[in-house]
Amino acid sequence: MSLSRREFLKSSAAASAAAAIGMSVPAELEAAANKAEGGWRWDKAACRFCGTGCGIMMATKNGKIVAVKGDPAAPVNRGLNCIKGYFNAKIMYGADRLTRPLLRMDANGKFDKKGKFAPVSWKVAFDIMEEKAKAAFNEKGPEGVAVFASGQHTVMEGYAAQKMMKGGFRSNAIDPNARHCMASAVVGFYQTFGIDEPSGCYDDIELTDTIVSWGSNMAEMHPILWSRVTDRKLSDPERVKVINMSTYTHRTSDLADTEIIFSPNTDTALWNYIAREIVFNNPESIDWDFVNKHMVFAAASPNIGYGMRKSNEKSIKEGKYTALEMETISKEMKTIVSEKEAPALAPYGYKAGDEMIHNQPGLKHWLIEFEEYKKSLEPYTLEYTAKISKGDPDESIESFKAKLQELADLYIEKGRKVVSFWTMGMNQHTRGTWTNTLAYNVHFLLNKQANPGEGAFSLTGQPSACGTAREVGTFTHRLPADMMVKNPKHRALVEKKWQVPAGTINGQMGQHIMRIHRDIEDGHVKFAWVNVCNPYQDSASASHWIKAAREMDNFIVTSDGYPGISAKVSDLILPSAMLYEKWGAYGNAERRTQHWRQQVLPVGDSMSDTWQWVEFSKRFTVKDLWMKDVKVGWGKKDMKAVPLDKIKAMGYNENTTMYEILFANDRAKSYKIDMNDPVQAGYDNSECSGDSRGVVGSDGEVFTGYGFFIHKYLFEEYAAFTRGHGHDLAPFDIYHKVRGLKWPVVDGKETQWRFNAKYDPYAAKATKETGNSHAFYGGFLKKRPQGDLNGIKKDMQLSYADKPGKHYLKNKAKIFARPYMDPPEMPDANYDTWLCTGRVLEHWHSGTMTMRVPELYRAVPEALCYMHPQDAKDKDLKQGGLCWVESRRGRVKARVETRGRNRPARGLVFVPWFDEKVFINKVCLDATCPLSKQTDYKKCAVKIYKA
Amino acid sequence: MKTMSKITIGLVAAALLIVGCGEGSKAAPSTNAKVAPTITEASLGLRKTDLYSEDGTSAAKTEYRTATCGSNIKIKRAFQDAPPMIPHDVEGMLPIKIGDNQCTSCHLPEFAASMGATAIPVSHFTNFRPTHNYDGKVFTKSIDNMKNEMAIKETTHLQGARFNCTQCHSPQSQGNLAVENTFEATYTRADGANKSGWSGTALTDQLDTIKGDGGKVTDADIANKNSVVGSSIWTQH
Repeated sequence: MSLSRREFLKSSAAASAAAAIGMSVPAELEAAANKAEGGWRWDKAACRFCGTGCGIMMATKNGKIVAVKGDPAAPVNRGLNCIKGYFNAKIMYGADRLTRPLLRMDANGKFDKKGKFAPVSWKVAFDIMEEKAKAAFNEKGPEGVAVFASGQHTVMEGYAAQKMMKGGFRSNAIDPNARHCMASAVVGFYQTFGIDEPSGCYDDIELTDTIVSWGSNMAEMHPILWSRVTDRKLSDPERVKVINMSTYTHRTSDLADTEIIFSPNTDTALWNYIAREIVFNNPESIDWDFVNKHMVFAAASPNIGYGMRKSNEKSIKEGKYTALEMETISKEMKTIVSEKEAPALAPYGYKAGDEMIHNQPGLKHWLIEFEEYKKSLEPYTLEYTAKISKGDPDESIESFKAKLQELADLYIEKGRKVVSFWTMGMNQHTRGTWTNTLAYNVHFLLNKQANPGEGAFSLTGQPSACGTAREVGTFTHRLPADMMVKNPKHRALVEKKWQVPAGTINGQMGQHIMRIHRDIEDGHVKFAWVNVCNPYQDSASASHWIKAAREMDNFIVTSDGYPGISAKVSDLILPSAMLYEKWGAYGNAERRTQHWRQQVLPVGDSMSDTWQWVEFSKRFTVKDLWMKDVKVGWGKKDMKAVPLDKIKAMGYNENTTMYEILFANDRAKSYKIDMNDPVQAGYDNSECSGDSRGVVGSDGEVFTGYGFFIHKYLFEEYAAFTRGHGHDLAPFDIYHKVRGLKWPVVDGKETQWRFNAKYDPYAAKATKETGNSHAFYGGFLKKRPQGDLNGIKKDMQLSYADKPGKHYLKNKAKIFARPYMDPPEMPDANYDTWLCTGRVLEHWHSGTMTMRVPELYRAVPEALCYMHPQDAKDKDLKQGGLCWVESRRGRVKARVETRGRNRPARGLVFVPWFDEKVFINKVCLDATCPLSKQTDYKKCAVKIYKA
Repeated sequence: MKTMSKITIGLVAAALLIVGCGEGSKAAPSTNAKVAPTITEASLGLRKTDLYSEDGTSAAKTEYRTATCGSNIKIKRAFQDAPPMIPHDVEGMLPIKIGDNQCTSCHLPEFAASMGATAIPVSHFTNFRPTHNYDGKVFTKSIDNMKNEMAIKETTHLQGARFNCTQCHSPQSQGNLAVENTFEATYTRADGANKSGWSGTALTDQLDTIKGDGGKVTDADIANKNSVVGSSIWTQH
């Protein structure tokens, strides 16, 4: 920086004058004016925590983080963070950081599954990983090797893991913890739009008149978005309405004009009620021009189970589940239609007391007439909806009905902009995908979707659930940029780009994260690697998975910064560099991709997950992984070896390593380490250049770096899939110069509202000839069969189809008929209370980072059992006293809180899951949405009694 | 002159930092020497009790301070401009609702001194969010995000975005930590542990994270011609 004193004074004056009158000042000039506070280096980064994706400014001094502040230039949060965001400063400095690999071993230094841990070198760690992964591969095929991936993986880490698993191991047994938080949203997007991720952006908040929060405690879980909502509300309190839809009162209710407390799972009924109000009572509010041009109607079968284990699965047959557990699990195959759900299921031919055999695939859906959709809405009168959905036994039915009417009226009101936000309440739901699609229905009918200030907007939970898990595609079924493992054309495109032989990628998939746990319990997965997640604390029915890890013949590896529960139950623990100890990128809930540089060196011998994957890849050759005929699809199918001539045609031989093919190829080496590059100058790069710690690497030699810019290579190669495909990412360097961009980024411009021809270049292109306002151009699931509510009718031709059979709905989205159904476990005489679990503001997920930050720990040192004072009294429990929370699966102790931030009505308790000492996932049920395989953490039945 | 010398110091220190990055922490290379396995599962992490049974496990008890507000006890800021934690009992003061934010009745600058409370700093009265242009038909941004532009305005009222005090400020439980933290705060201002200094020109200090022309987005950046693997796979077939 070379500014003369005169220039400094001039810009300083300009900046303060500009600030005083509120005009825009280029950041560069502003910053030049304010170069002060010596000795610290400030750089931009993304927050480590939730899906909001705030920008932070981070100061380092002498190789340590010394301060964090909200980045005033970051469009998401403009100078403000939440409490967790500020304390990013401290997350890497817990005193028990893992600094060396730890292996369970016997007294002779040999691996021993029953042994205690001892520190080992990276070489020993990779030796045993190699041995165990090869054994698993050779015994069970590629799918014997599995990975628990993450919505907190950086883009590059996720891409490296995906490449090695799908391109190297030929295994699709990789799935992220994002399965637990976003999968229902994703399937909802695919089924409705044919493409993943939201139409809107956070600017909707400042542009809307109405914010409806559905099953989302935004005030605690997306605090900065909530601060924007609050600002909007306070700026025009009369016009702006805030409605909170929840199963219990929480901080989001505190700002709301109206709070609607509904009975768990009945949000499906509430959405249908609003749609019924539109269709039956306010038909003039339907924008038929929009609907006719952009919508079709669709239906699916209701009898699809609840995503639990099926009666023919190995561990069920072997009796690994108790009789009590089986009371619930048996409903996977068959239920009796209840009085509560019967009216909703009447259009599908069911009545109360009928047996429902759950034998239909959940994802299958077909097109129907509007009249059939209308028929599906008929049951949701105010009377019926209010009766089944009122969640507070102490509220009068009249009061509740009035609120429902008010809710519907706000949506319907002409000229009123409405944004519906949701997170885990709607996603963690045994009908989560359905509920997601129901949200779009209402917005579509009213033409209040994909417009400034209007839309149904799925908020993501994790910082890169969108950027990595979804966009890179670390799900079992996905490839980059919305491509699918199942689609041979997509596999071929990816193989070509990765320069692996045609046919390398395995077309068999289905190892969603609960399936990986279950496959370990069934003895099918023998090697599992945990990356940036904590599956042994975060999965429901936790005791089963811990037991399977500890007592069965398998090898579990956990990479982490701290020893969480997953590390403890593993056989090998690898010390990982944490977020600001590596270069990286995250993608948030508004499609914004944000990059940061390595701020400090990793602690001890820890190295990034990217490095761990790349080092692992050095241990596997073409001969090891590609030249064997193997079993896939749970041993049911054969997958042929990749023919040697094809391998040789690509310039490889039997002994070429996956490292040379996937990571250190000539293309990669063109990305140079260059300290004259303004992006790299002055910043460490531990993977590419080694660092001053002189860490002894996987070969027993001091690691001196790959010699090329691997993060840039991985990002750019991945981005090639997105560019020109509706997901366009900007070039690597640009992200280091700006505060994130919302994809698709076309010609250097980000996209505010997708599918809207005014703002989205892809929609503009698609509507060039029609002149339509919108184009829902997603290409997936767009050729659908035709039928009615009860099934596909081969010869039927719908009014909007030109022939019977499969109809192609180009540029259109779907409005779905979806009934209310009961969840598989509900309170009864023995287990009389609903249990809901989730997060609190001050802690992130399983607490491995935030419980080690003094201010966050002291803010909330324990997970409390939040309950209604009357329930406490009835159960002889005292405020602050200990109680047992017990389900059919297990029990935990927690202190009773009757006057805290969460205030349930009678009949429900909330216990957060961050606390290792209140291990609530031992109590929760691993039922999932059968379509999305996302666990329902929000509902199971418990009894509460004094401890 | 004072400002100038500050800048000079800043530049020298920054240069030293770049050259000397991490030199101080050079560790001896790790060896493969055999170590007896002594680390038990229970010794690791936050939960030191049996993981397989809940009978002997209970959570750490929450014990917030009981000092009443106005007793003039303060908790030092964790680092410069970190949000201060709440040193007093908040029983009966929460939840914060529209028309009922009890925090402001003591902490607004006009009351703070007389109440012995920490005054809400000027950053909370500053609007950082640009108002974009929307006439009901077409939306345009009022700033150029490719240039990291900002629009910052000091106002006279508490900003709505900062209305939810508990989003950043929390009471603190007493007793031992689960695990110590080795973060060390350093301050560039003498009163940095006690007072917010984030106002005026400091708000936008050092936001140009790539200095000079190197930080500008150019047409060449957008064209991305030097990226060997970066061009779209979709235009190739």
